[in-house]
Amino acid sequence: MTSNPLPLNLSRSGGCTLTGALSVTTQVRDAITIIHGPKGCTHHNFSLLHATALDNDRVSLPDVISTGLSESDIIFGGEGALRQTLDAAALRNCSAIFVLSTCLVETIGDDVTAVCQGSHGIPVIPIPSAGFLGGTFQNGVNNALNAIAETAEPCAKGSCVNVIGEKNLEYEVEENYAEVSRLLGALGIPVNVRFLRDCSIRDISRLGAARLNILRDGEVRAVGEQLRYRFGTPFIPSFPVGFEGTIRFLEEVADCFGVNCAQAVYEEKSLQDEILAEFDDIAGTSVTFDPAGVSSDTFPVAREVAGHFDITIDRVSRTVPLQFSPPVGTNGIRHMLHRWRRAIHA
Amino acid sequence: MMKQIALYGKGGIGKSTTSANLSAALSLQGLDILQIGCDPKRDSTRMLMHGNFIPTVMDLVRVRGEAALTLSDIVYTGFNGVRCVEAGGPEPGVGCAGRGIIATFQLLEKFGALTGDVIVYDVLGDVVCGGFAMPMREGYAQDIYLVTSGELMSLYAANNICKAIKRLSSRTKSTCRLAGVICNAKNQPREEELVGEFARRVNSSLIQYIPRDRVVQLAELNRKTVLEYDPDSQQAARYRSLAARIMENTRFTIPTPLEIDDLESLALEFI
Repeated sequence: MTSNPLPLNLSRSGGCTLTGALSVTTQVRDAITIIHGPKGCTHHNFSLLHATALDNDRVSLPDVISTGLSESDIIFGGEGALRQTLDAAALRNCSAIFVLSTCLVETIGDDVTAVCQGSHGIPVIPIPSAGFLGGTFQNGVNNALNAIAETAEPCAKGSCVNVIGEKNLEYEVEENYAEVSRLLGALGIPVNVRFLRDCSIRDISRLGAARLNILRDGEVRAVGEQLRYRFGTPFIPSFPVGFEGTIRFLEEVADCFGVNCAQAVYEEKSLQDEILAEFDDIAGTSVTFDPAGVSSDTFPVAREVAGHFDITIDRVSRTVPLQFSPPVGTNGIRHMLHRWRRAIHA
Repeated sequence: MMKQIALYGKGGIGKSTTSANLSAALSLQGLDILQIGCDPKRDSTRMLMHGNFIPTVMDLVRVRGEAALTLSDIVYTGFNGVRCVEAGGPEPGVGCAGRGIIATFQLLEKFGALTGDVIVYDVLGDVVCGGFAMPMREGYAQDIYLVTSGELMSLYAANNICKAIKRLSSRTKSTCRLAGVICNAKNQPREEELVGEFARRVNSSLIQYIPRDRVVQLAELNRKTVLEYDPDSQQAARYRSLAARIMENTRFTIPTPLEIDDLESLALEFI
């Protein structure tokens, strides 16, 4: 038995398990996602995914179908409705079908896994995602990633990395990836699979080819561990955070691949020095951090950066904005400093 | 004024037998009776229908769809004009039977089926969820009768149902009350005394003691209620007495369910 705690996390990444799972499955270009439940669950999530994509300058209509359960399906069981929807979806040209459960079908005890075991010629992957069972948005993300990873088989390793568990609903998702990609590029290491953002089932089949997995942050640690178990791939537990953290990231990745990172580290430190000089004008000021809507992980790096500029943190000065998640890499800090500067000079 | 009564009790305790014989006895008083079986097992009205299983509301909804149904599809007339309805439910092991009861009630309301002098609701063993409490809700059965033997498990179930009645009767507009306890005996020693005391402790009273009698089985094998099969039997007289007492009953209470320890020590007193 589970009890659902109050939603303390009000960011986009808070909320329903179903939304978390959808934020992953709808990123598979050639797959269909079936939401097994009443049509409202699909409608709301479709709207959220569509609106979020627009915010990130993408026009995308997620390929999501509802089994559209009615009262009679609840009384007599919804498995028939799921079977019909599944058969119809399988006739379309797709490489996989994800079947996400909702509160209602978990309440009446539909055996979603059993229905998915029918022969459809393509992988049909059930992902438990009923929100009322107390799981979080992140449980939905992790359940989806772990389920989808099952479609890939272990294979020979190449000199590349996977990026694991990007937050598809955060505003900075592409910016953050670009920063990680830049740092990897400085070491000459390419990205194999973005697991999971904008890729195909065929892309995902290469999941085992990476020599290292880079996790978005600690929230997907369980996925990192699962992938390590399945493919023997070690992981770095987070995208780089903070000036020093970014240097450490370069060293850790280089260490894993046995490459020399002296040049990359030298260039990164130069970039960081440039930034310190560039924002010289806000040095020695006093600011207040507004904790509303900010992850507790963000404060340590905000304090580290403030320390570099001898900025005093109190509760009465100008409020500077912080983003929900910590800024990623050196350029993430630069963006944060731009926002601080605007607030300080406002 | 229409009287609506509901019989609740442990599974297998004899609710359907009691309900069917009660409905038969009430109809013989010249009253217009509707008996509604609220159990997916659908066998509440079978003896009134001379051994036939009538189509259930839920089966009809599933096969034909709600829009195609009329009142005459779901109400069947049995012994002495007693009208019979079976709610039915999903196939065993799937779906949600409780929601099925709620849907059945909505359909019966829509058809204006809830008419007559007395409506008898025969509800499945335990009030396992909100759906099976439906007959106790506002606008339906006001008088709840518990059917129990003197066996501890049966008293335990009856006590649990008292909890449901207590909860529902505390709602502002609720009119459901505990109306009495019917002892459908297993012929244990001192059983009538025990069930009588149990009834008193839960703030109610023993309405009728019905001893175990072979005529019930004989009537069943002949696909009849006792009232039809052997109207001169002592058992038939007991069901007539039950019917008369129910019609005269004015004591409706909010029950005071017992703690399990108290229930056990009560049972021990009457060994």
